[in-house]
Amino acid sequence: MGDFTSLDPCVHCGFCLPACPTYLATRDEADSPRGRIVLMRALERGDLSADDPALRQHLDACLGCRGCEPACPSGVGYGRGLEEARRRIAASVGLRPLARLTLGVFGRSVAWRTAFGAGRWIRDLGLAKLLAGSGRARLGFGMLAATAPGRVRQPTLAPEAGTGPTVALFRGCVMDTLFGHVHDATRRTLAVNGYRVIEVPGQGCCGALHDHAGDQEGAARLGRANLAAIGETTDFIVVNSAGCGALLKDYGHLLGTEAARRFAGRVRDVTELLADRGPVTGGSLPLDVAYDAPCHLQHAQQVQRQPLAVLGAIPGLRVHQLPGSDRCCGSAGIYSLVEPAMSRMVLDDKIEAIRSLTPRPDFIATGNPGCLMQIGAGLMAAGLATRVAHPVELLDWSYAAGGRYR
Amino acid sequence: MTTSPTPALTADLLGALSRLVGSRWVRHRPAELATYAADGLPTHESRPGLVVLPGSRSEVAAVLSLLAERHVPFVPRGAGTGLSGGALAGGDAVLLTLTRLNRILRIDPASRRAVVEPGVINAHLSQAVARFGLQYVPDPSSQTACTIGGNVAENAGGPHCLKYGVTTNHITALEVILPDGSTATLGSPQGEPWGPDLVGLFLGSEGMFGVAVEITVRLEPTPRDIRTLFAEFTQLRAASSAVSAIIASGIVPAALEMMDQSCLEAVEASIYATGARTDAAAVLLVELDGAPEAVAAEAAVVEPLLRANGARSVTVATSEPDRARLWLGRKKAFGALGRLAPDLAVQDAVVPRSALPDLLDQIAAVRDRLGIRISNVFHAGDGNLHPCISFDRRDPRQAAAVVTANREIMEACLAAGGSITGEHGVGSDKREYMPRAFQPAALDLMCEVRRVFDPDGRANPGKVFPANVCREWRRGDRQ
Ligand SMILES: Cc1cc2nc3c(=O)[nH]c(=O)nc-3n(C[C@H](O)[C@H](O)[C@H](O)COP(=O)(O)OP(=O)(O)OC[C@H]3O[C@@H](n4cnc5c(N)ncnc54)[C@H](O)[C@@H]3O)c2cc1C
Ligand code: SF4
Ligand code: SF4
Repeated sequence: MGDFTSLDPCVHCGFCLPACPTYLATRDEADSPRGRIVLMRALERGDLSADDPALRQHLDACLGCRGCEPACPSGVGYGRGLEEARRRIAASVGLRPLARLTLGVFGRSVAWRTAFGAGRWIRDLGLAKLLAGSGRARLGFGMLAATAPGRVRQPTLAPEAGTGPTVALFRGCVMDTLFGHVHDATRRTLAVNGYRVIEVPGQGCCGALHDHAGDQEGAARLGRANLAAIGETTDFIVVNSAGCGALLKDYGHLLGTEAARRFAGRVRDVTELLADRGPVTGGSLPLDVAYDAPCHLQHAQQVQRQPLAVLGAIPGLRVHQLPGSDRCCGSAGIYSLVEPAMSRMVLDDKIEAIRSLTPRPDFIATGNPGCLMQIGAGLMAAGLATRVAHPVELLDWSYAAGGRYR
Repeated sequence: MTTSPTPALTADLLGALSRLVGSRWVRHRPAELATYAADGLPTHESRPGLVVLPGSRSEVAAVLSLLAERHVPFVPRGAGTGLSGGALAGGDAVLLTLTRLNRILRIDPASRRAVVEPGVINAHLSQAVARFGLQYVPDPSSQTACTIGGNVAENAGGPHCLKYGVTTNHITALEVILPDGSTATLGSPQGEPWGPDLVGLFLGSEGMFGVAVEITVRLEPTPRDIRTLFAEFTQLRAASSAVSAIIASGIVPAALEMMDQSCLEAVEASIYATGARTDAAAVLLVELDGAPEAVAAEAAVVEPLLRANGARSVTVATSEPDRARLWLGRKKAFGALGRLAPDLAVQDAVVPRSALPDLLDQIAAVRDRLGIRISNVFHAGDGNLHPCISFDRRDPRQAAAVVTANREIMEACLAAGGSITGEHGVGSDKREYMPRAFQPAALDLMCEVRRVFDPDGRANPGKVFPANVCREWRRGDRQ
């Protein structure tokens, strides 16, 4: 399928080292982008085999966040190289058991609906919050607790339906089961901005987690199902999960068909659609907020300004700059599950940055379920009162406060 | 380097090192060693026997004592951005990576000093002191990645060293672990307390004198006013004569940098584009800093000089974002050149400023004769050239042309009265030129000095001095 040509421009200058969260955590070049490129080139030449345990360890420890790409003056396409390396490793030695098990769940809608449904039940009983804490298992409960709506009272009144472009809402798996409130906020805020949101049945998981793990076939299977379900009728397909959006926009590359390329061209992150329309301003929301950029939004999709435009449409909101907001939080799909130690080191750096902010924000705004869960759990484990919210949730509250919903 | 047979690195050594620093911090598997086989000049490659990442200075001392006991050679390493193949270890040696020692220990704004560990990244230090209105001046283009320890060992320079001096002018004290594991304090916060300048001696020692584990740096107030002039020229010679004219005017700019057309093309294609037109034969970046009145007065001299020497346009950046954009283009230039061809050989040499125009012509002649692409990006103000050759090492003809070009350029620089390195060091890359650049007696003296610090020749062996150059080896009187 692919090859490693995107790595060719690497001149070994090392500029990418300090942009890499795993290098910053260990300061070991084997955990750096440049070091991983050396490993991938050795894999390409056959100097190292795909089942070399050390090669796998250090490539597995890569978050796939692509923070190294914008730091590279030479334009190395690290992400494409990693995708190819993971494909070769998966093809030759298979996935690790934990990864295989997890991806198996995401691959079948009955399985994830059951699993996340149980999760939601534990969350709604208040158990998750009770059990949230710092150990490995308790961090997991923290993640579950962090999926709860940022506010207990949700706006219930629907706005008037828009008359503008039609938009199919991509529901996904985690978003659909644990972040239903973000979907609701997406529909309401898009309608206020003139879009007609259409519900499309029969969709499933986007396949991003499979794709990242090197299981391109699993990803393609899910991709084809989504393509068939969503079809070609709407002007746009809107996604509110950065990770899903990045892969949906890459379906052309993944599936290699003309239909997939056309589909990918219609995919937008929710903040892109909102920013295109201003967005419309809401009512006052006097809160302190810091934005943390999901890797799959800022690097994979190059969507950087639009989430800030969404926050900028909220009067009274005080948006603070979070140092290192462009750095991965360590969530990275199933990474937090399969690489817990490194994930935790990277998360600790993020929480430390939040802890040193003055004033301490009420909310960290970020547009990806993994980041919301990871940072949310980290905040609870550190005993900080700061909570997490999706940018459209904040806009939604602001619209409610401003009387936009009736 | 020692004549006694070097013991192979044994499993026993691995165990002993693991006990000192923790097994997680001893890398021994081939894949891991491969990630440490090159620095920023990947035309040189050497896989270390082991990589050790100590977490504190006491661990560094313990590791060095153990290695001394067992007669094992070692090579210190920072971020591995060096451009002379300096931080490379052979299979019989331990690579001692210092990046985990990355704390800023003290900042003393009143006396304008900071004490740092060697693994602190250059740019992180500047960021940390900025809130006191201070800066750490030496700013190698690699500053976002390279370490202060590496800067000390290479005596690194940077664009702003034209006015403020290179690393050695900004270090006042060092804590050094010597190759035998003992600790020595060189200098003091106020500078050298007595006698010979031992700090100066250590600066630029390329890892051969031991390991710097604590570094006291001098901080300078950030200039009150900064103005960056960006001039485009249609003739390379015109840009060189503008450089001479500025220096002759008596003004010492904070920085005076040049990029030629080939380099500009690469930069403008990268995300660090300056916005210059790529049909310019050369661009000059002139930075003036100091009190606002002085900067204005100097700009009033420099701008007409640039135009009088043929600049077709001069833009002046005063705002921080505008200046940052111009500087990013310059500082990321080597990296941007990566897009021209799979491999890049960066050279480093100094010539008298007056020889610059002729040398650039000679480099162009080498380029045309060998049919290779050479880009120039350099510190024009102090005559520090960086010809960069783009090539594909998989093509033997190109690889051979690079070797020839490097040699011819070096010889041209030496013939013009220049030196073989301005700031990247000798390392593995320039070893062969040492006898051309220095008299035998001078080389002997250098070897003697080295022996004071490292009598066994175990610290970064095989670098800087070509085999058998030193008298003791020539006489064969080593044990
Ligand atoms: C794109 C690019 C641009 C560059 N621009 C410049 C520039 O403008 N000016 C300039 O001077 N250099 C420049 N360099 C070269 C390089 O960045 C410098 O030489 C830098 O000082 C190396 O630091 P490092 O931490 O990467 O050291 P390394 O490359 O890891 O090591 C360099 C040398 O220092 C020794 N060493 C490292 N740490 C210690 C220690 N704690 N104690 C004793 N010895 C030690 C090593 O043994 C080795 O000999 C550039 C490099 C690149 C890739
Ligand atoms: S910054 Fe780019 S060219 Fe430099 S080492 Fe990293 S990937 Fe390679
Ligand atoms: S993708 Fe992220 S974790 Fe992986 S090498 Fe790049 S910066 Fe590091």
